Amino acid sequence: MLTEDRNNLFGHALKAVNAGVVLLDENQKIVFWNNWMERHSFISEEDALDKTLPEISPDLQSVRLLTAIRQALANRLPSILSQTLNKSPLPLFASQEEAGKSIRMQQAIQVLPIQTSPESHYCMIQVTDVSAAVNRESILRQQAVELRSKAHVDGLTGIANRRRFDEHGEESFRHAKRNGTTMSLILIDIDFFKLYNDTYGHQQGDYCLIEVATALSDEVRRPFDLVARYGGEEFVVVLPETDAEGAMHIACRMRAHVESLGIQHAKPNKVNTVTISLGVAMFDPSKRAISFNELINRADHALYKAKHSGRNQIVLHEESENEESSSAI
Amino acid sequence: MFDLTELQYDALSEIFNIGVGHAASALSDILNEEMRMSVPRISFQNRANLASKLCNGENRRICGVRQSFEGAIFNTDAMLMFPEEKSLEIVRLMVGGSLSMQELTEMEQEAMSEIGNIILNACVGVLADMLKQDIQSSLPSYHIGNSDELLSSYGDHADDIVLILHIDIALEKHEIEGHVAFILDMSTIQDLRPHLDQYITEMIG
Amino acid sequence: MNSPKTVLVVDDSRFSRLISRQIILSKYPEWRVEEASTGEEAIEKANTVLADLVLMDVNMPGMGGIEASEKLRDQFPTLRIFLQTANIQEATRKKAAALGIGFLEKPINEGRIHKVLEELGNG
Repeated sequence: MLTEDRNNLFGHALKAVNAGVVLLDENQKIVFWNNWMERHSFISEEDALDKTLPEISPDLQSVRLLTAIRQALANRLPSILSQTLNKSPLPLFASQEEAGKSIRMQQAIQVLPIQTSPESHYCMIQVTDVSAAVNRESILRQQAVELRSKAHVDGLTGIANRRRFDEHGEESFRHAKRNGTTMSLILIDIDFFKLYNDTYGHQQGDYCLIEVATALSDEVRRPFDLVARYGGEEFVVVLPETDAEGAMHIACRMRAHVESLGIQHAKPNKVNTVTISLGVAMFDPSKRAISFNELINRADHALYKAKHSGRNQIVLHEESENEESSSAI
Repeated sequence: MFDLTELQYDALSEIFNIGVGHAASALSDILNEEMRMSVPRISFQNRANLASKLCNGENRRICGVRQSFEGAIFNTDAMLMFPEEKSLEIVRLMVGGSLSMQELTEMEQEAMSEIGNIILNACVGVLADMLKQDIQSSLPSYHIGNSDELLSSYGDHADDIVLILHIDIALEKHEIEGHVAFILDMSTIQDLRPHLDQYITEMIG
Repeated sequence: MNSPKTVLVVDDSRFSRLISRQIILSKYPEWRVEEASTGEEAIEKANTVLADLVLMDVNMPGMGGIEASEKLRDQFPTLRIFLQTANIQEATRKKAAALGIGFLEKPINEGRIHKVLEELGNG
């Protein structure tokens, strides 16, 4: 094929490529503006030729694009402009309709140095429409969020989440009522956790939550026992067919286990490691009837007492006369 | 091991400080927040020891952005690495996502590639300028893997020497401080010295 | 001819200080160049030598160039001070302008410094 024909062929091919192709000379003037660019900018090649980008698009704000062009021409370094960091720098539109509404196309841009000979420097700008990819990701992200909330597992720690507790707890409670068996609940809160986060950072805070969750999970063995993440730094343990004594026993092991993890925490307490406070409450169907929520409240009151009696301890809710007794560590 | 005189080290340090200064300027623009970057330390390392040096001996999952450079003294790869969670926090801030490193979406990966691209171009660009070298580069590519995999991912030249720039990043408003590492393969490190000397002579006689 | 001036060059990079020194002394061989490598040292030196001009690197460990310049501005309201940095950000530039502190872009070269030197030399 003759050279002239080849060049002709390449010219036509580039014009037809289904992506934006712009060529700039070393003075940043446009020497090529392909069909895709014409279609989506509503600027013809004729109007674009021999002008710089800011000249044909006066509101071109992108410092990054201009720097990238300079780097390509002067230093022959290629650059990419991601959609995320550079919102639609060029005035390109998916359709006439969107142009009317001034809705720009989502663009991914590459700026590449082109050198035909040691003295001649050109720069090629390649534009891709990424609107579809962006939309797809947005949908996927939304689905992921929805899925996560429907799931029963807490994303961070891997143990059961609040939703699972609500279901399992209610069911176990109903079961206990029906069968006349006891059931216990332990509410747990990590001591001075906000301070821990502030001191060591959220990343550390997350690791701490994971370690505590694991330690607590280690202490329940039976199939219907459940350790769940109740809130930010709160956990709850469901113990079907367990009385106060049994629950206290488990609570003691949990408190000791977490303390023995030895997670450093320079906090205002006599112990310099991460500790937990626990509130235990038992449901005895032979006694006064209560609801599941009331059981949770009792455990919560007991936890409150533990927090206000110095933390790092367990309090058991005593039903008689609404008195609470403190249990030794 | 690679030995530089104090003056050569100083000159190289200053060259890179200028490079990251430019990068910081560009990134501040993107972030709309004051960002400072500096190069407190340059070191040279055998590729064999690289992974353990960078990640304190742990074989962690990290990500990096790589560009291949070609020129008279640079036939090499440069990689910008984000070796810790903190540096990712900074990226996350810029990119706006809330997903963990494992779950970077395609769009986020591309944003990270751009951040790597800005810093790599700035560092290598200023180096090439000062030392009057012509270089060509590939487009940036994003990589994620274990530190061991990532750092020996371009061939097993355990004896090759690499230059490591430890770059400190500080974001004013958010008070985030992070650290990225710029690694430049310098298998032809001998060639760097005469150019460096020439540059020094030009600048201070 | 105007009297010889004293320029205080502050930069933690010895290489940078040497570049500035070289540029200044090639243009005005009779001038004096003093050096400091930290913000703190700059303030000390400014109190012992009578500097006519300060060239201050921004990026330094410890007290940075901006803080040091502010302190110098407090003590010496008419002292000519110029910050040198590769990272020029609008916010910093405005803050500096408000204090009457100038800005010089890095890399340091003759073109950039000469103008500042000439103003001092002639004024």
